[in-house]
Amino acid sequence: MSEFFYGIPNTEPFWTGLKTLHYVLVGLAGGMAVLAAILTLRQHPDRNRYLWLAGLFILLDMFVLWAGSSARWYFSQFWLFLSFEPRAPIWWGTWGLSSALASVGLILLKTWVPLLKRIPEMLLGTVMLVGGLVALAYPGIALVVNENRPVWNEMMLVIFPVTALLMVLAVAMLLGSAWARRWEVMAAAVTVALLVAYPLTLQGEAREHFMREGLLVYATAGVLVAVALVLFRNPRLAAGLGLAGAVGLRWMLVQVGQIQAPGL
Amino acid sequence: MKLQRRSFIKLSAAAVGAMGVGGVAVMSNRAKASPWYHKEVKTVYSICENCFWRCGVKVSVVGNRVYKADGYKENPKSRGMLCPRGQGAPAQTYDPDRLKKPLIRVEGSERGSGQYREASWEEALDYIAKKMLALKESHGTESIAFFGHGTGDFWFVDFLPAAWGSPNAAKPSVSLCTAPREVAAQYTFGRAIGGHEPIDWPNSKYIVLIGHHIGEDTHNTQLQEFSEARKNGAKLVVVDPRFSTAAAKADRWLPIKPGTDTALLLAWIHVLVSENLYDREYVEKYTLGMDKLIPHVKDFTPEWAEQITEIPAGVIRDVAREMAAQKPRAILPPTRHTVWYGNDTQRMRASYILNVLLGNYGREGGFYIAMPPFLEAFPTPPLPLVPAAGGCAGPAAVTEQPEGFRPRADAGKFFAQSTAIQELIEPMITGKPYPIRGLFAYGISMFHTIPNVPRTREAIKNLDLYVAIDVLPKEHVMWADVILPEATFLERYDDFVTVAHKTPFVQARFPAHEPLWDTKPGWWIARELGKRIGLEQFFPWQTFEEYLNTRLMSVGLDLETMRQMGTMVQRGRPWLTDWEKEGRLPFNTTSGKIEIYSEAFAAAGFDPLPKYEEPQPVPQGYYRLLYGRSPVHTFARTQNNPVLMEQESTNAVWLNTEEAARLGFKRGDWAFMINPDGMREGPLPVRVTERIRKDAVYITHGFGHKGKGLSLAYGRGACDAHLQNHYTLDRISGGAGLRNNFVRLEKAPRPRLRSVVQIIRERRG
Amino acid sequence: MARLAMLIDLKACVGCAACSVACKMENEVPVGGSRLWIREREMGTFPNLTVEYRPEQCAHCENPPCVPVCPTGATYQNEEGLVLVDYHKCIACSACVAACPYDARFISKAGYVEKCTFCAHRLARNEEPACVTTCPTYARVFGDLDDPDSDINKAIQAAGQGHVLRPELGLKPKVIYVNPPSKQGLTRKEAQL
Repeated sequence: MSEFFYGIPNTEPFWTGLKTLHYVLVGLAGGMAVLAAILTLRQHPDRNRYLWLAGLFILLDMFVLWAGSSARWYFSQFWLFLSFEPRAPIWWGTWGLSSALASVGLILLKTWVPLLKRIPEMLLGTVMLVGGLVALAYPGIALVVNENRPVWNEMMLVIFPVTALLMVLAVAMLLGSAWARRWEVMAAAVTVALLVAYPLTLQGEAREHFMREGLLVYATAGVLVAVALVLFRNPRLAAGLGLAGAVGLRWMLVQVGQIQAPGL
Repeated sequence: MKLQRRSFIKLSAAAVGAMGVGGVAVMSNRAKASPWYHKEVKTVYSICENCFWRCGVKVSVVGNRVYKADGYKENPKSRGMLCPRGQGAPAQTYDPDRLKKPLIRVEGSERGSGQYREASWEEALDYIAKKMLALKESHGTESIAFFGHGTGDFWFVDFLPAAWGSPNAAKPSVSLCTAPREVAAQYTFGRAIGGHEPIDWPNSKYIVLIGHHIGEDTHNTQLQEFSEARKNGAKLVVVDPRFSTAAAKADRWLPIKPGTDTALLLAWIHVLVSENLYDREYVEKYTLGMDKLIPHVKDFTPEWAEQITEIPAGVIRDVAREMAAQKPRAILPPTRHTVWYGNDTQRMRASYILNVLLGNYGREGGFYIAMPPFLEAFPTPPLPLVPAAGGCAGPAAVTEQPEGFRPRADAGKFFAQSTAIQELIEPMITGKPYPIRGLFAYGISMFHTIPNVPRTREAIKNLDLYVAIDVLPKEHVMWADVILPEATFLERYDDFVTVAHKTPFVQARFPAHEPLWDTKPGWWIARELGKRIGLEQFFPWQTFEEYLNTRLMSVGLDLETMRQMGTMVQRGRPWLTDWEKEGRLPFNTTSGKIEIYSEAFAAAGFDPLPKYEEPQPVPQGYYRLLYGRSPVHTFARTQNNPVLMEQESTNAVWLNTEEAARLGFKRGDWAFMINPDGMREGPLPVRVTERIRKDAVYITHGFGHKGKGLSLAYGRGACDAHLQNHYTLDRISGGAGLRNNFVRLEKAPRPRLRSVVQIIRERRG
Repeated sequence: MARLAMLIDLKACVGCAACSVACKMENEVPVGGSRLWIREREMGTFPNLTVEYRPEQCAHCENPPCVPVCPTGATYQNEEGLVLVDYHKCIACSACVAACPYDARFISKAGYVEKCTFCAHRLARNEEPACVTTCPTYARVFGDLDDPDSDINKAIQAAGQGHVLRPELGLKPKVIYVNPPSKQGLTRKEAQL
């Protein structure tokens, strides 16, 4: 069977460049918020550093989102905050990131604005934790809701949060936080297990497409994470490899998944 | 059954009104905030110029811009609907590549080198007039030829040459298109087929199309009525070496060996005759020569035809019986482009004879009898010559040469009175029978239309004067000495278009807005030039409104009334019964009857009854080059239209799957097409398909533009005319048979072409 | 409530793209994106061939997957069953583009998502969509599925059965095809309406 068109269906990739980058960065932003929230709630001495990092990653991610939008100069951006759309993953993501950013900001500002000291840190930490978790979970959900795009199956719900944690823990290891190592090893182990399982959950033409378009990056990312898992004696190298693997994996899943289910 | 457009749903306007204004519109400067249809829209009647079917349209104008063209129900051409070319037609007017000012070729520069300077209309017209008068002095008025195509061609190919005194006026729509079918019709029925084929599609029950591109040529009304026929349950048989769009809709597809159609037609005639299935009563009443046809077709059995056509004898017999069972509501509609193999008049005669045996001419479900509408010409002093270029409505019926002028330069090369544009090229080179030293090209695509392009280029180089009147800088335009930029169809009045039809009608074109740039309507150019070459007496009108109004007065109308109507429909006499009521018959043949046997052909030394002649065989290693139409393009006229180019930006060469495998072509590959003389076209994409026979390849006509000023069209696809170095002259009609041309394919690297989308975005600035 | 829908008769359609160009002009659809296009599918082997010409556009699904994913409420479904976009609210996030199984949406350079509106502005004037009025083959019928006497319901009945693309998604799309040229036509995921 061959096909020919007058006019063109809109089959070009719709999430490219900065938008795909967002799917990577939001993991770092949300993950870092979760990490900072936990450290805050536990009154960990490292917490300030991670609060700054969380704030930085959230701002960076939001900047990338804004810069990547062709509506960047329009008022419509504010409708993200003026509307109530609980069925939309992106709406949740917006509020998750914003509330995390707000609580990070409020805690950090306590140093200079005495008035803010009245807000209990536990409350801000909890808000940050919830916001961070939402931001952590939302990319996977935003992909899974597209039933028509079979590469983005339910595995995304796990792969995206886990790789996000893999990334932020790797950053923590690179910064020399020893407590991160145990969790990083765990995250890497879970990631490797997911990577082995995921292709088995794909079927038919979705699988063929995935194998054709994504296998190289997928396998490379998998190997990087696996090597990181084995190399835990060299924490910085392991962290670097894990981070690279997770970044590549997220990027690739977003790019390769933009394929319609066969049938049209 | 006439299909009715429905009045439909009740829609609450409020629900829709919410769209676009819902929410806070602050800071929103988006284009969609004020679409054209929310502005003050003026509606103007016009006639579409994006193909030669010429549908009546009404266009929506906001300021100096037409946003939309639509058909209107009162117009018998569009009947409220439009094809893609018509829908996209307004875009041409706003093409930044348009010719914007008169141009004069820089003195001393070579033709084709494209060096021009801008000039005023005054200077440009004076320049042309001076050269014309000099040519008249040195070589006579006949030494200037006039070529043209389009609604405005009346001024440049009919009126001006006749007033000036040159019989050498021609349109490609005759000898490169309809000549064989029109000549055959004249000598069979004594009537033209005409530009609006008089087929009663909706009432037909059995339709046989031979090489017909319906659905691909998108002739609007024809496509509508074809669809009605199919909805009404007509059976459809398509004879074509290619699985065309029509074939895709057919009940039977007969993939005939190219060039053998006459054998198939003769075999069908044989079956109707030998099995006594034809309409005896009709034949006896209206025709002459059946007695000679019966012995003539005795040996043309389906078995004989099977050997030639590669269509099984059983199928041939079945189709003949099926069509006979539906007679007279069975029809073989003539195609428009009939210049195929050089024996085309005879093929068309065979087709008409078959139609006559089915008794369908002048009967419902067959051919209706088209009458031209009544409308007087503008009164002028008698022209020295009678306009003789003809058109797709057939050759002009000029049989006598007026005294004091030399006969047309193609005289004697063929039998009929049609003009053969391709035969007027040679005299530009050889000076025989007499020299043609000047040329006007109005709206045609010389290098895309006339076969043997190298010869045309050489001829143009030889000329003393070459004037092009056009809208776009097509390649041949940029060879001219003087280029006159015409206003587009949306920007100008034109003479009325009169259409011979079941209900004859007159349609009008009104300007939607002032001409953009420094462009002028064709009638203005013709008149201003006429004044400068001593023809002022033939342009007695002061304004064009006066010209149009005067013509309308002959039918009791005036221009302002017509402005509100667009179209005026008259009554016709479509059926034989209408004529018989008046005690006469419509056949203007010598005998007054349908001539199955042509005495005139016999007297001139041609076969009085059609015979099958073998087409030139395909040389080893080559394919027969077939060509056709794309539904979104018209010939070589629309390839710079951004809207249409976005739909289809190149042609592709259709190659049979097995042949592709043999040659190593895969989907997505590119190829050059090369003819036996080494002329190369392309690269163009290869369309690997099951939809074509193994002995032929196919491209759509019109791509492969070489005019660098056409930013969208330039360098895309391949041009069939550039591969058609040879043609087989039809000695009866003067038609140039184009399908005895052959090509081979060579692999080509994928060219580095920028996407049309990218170019269009940039052109907009 | 109404359920406005488009019927396309694949037996009549010759794929001439009049609808596609009419849509471009009527809606000034920016170059590079399509609200409506023609898919020409060739099936079989010489000489037993089938070609299907299939116009495709937004199906204005009854259960549109593009509406819930819109984070700003720009994409919505109105009372007539049309799925529309409020350009002033759209942030061009492409969530709806991802959700659409028919590739019917695209982001225009101007920074918002575009798609077929069934020519809502023409409906408001009680005119049919531009693609319907221009079709030279009478392949399109537009009307209300809730009205048992509507032409579209009659056309579905006359054809015997209507087909939609990708019915397995349960979206109840309202671009309904009738008379596919062969079983292979449409798609193997075609189904009865």
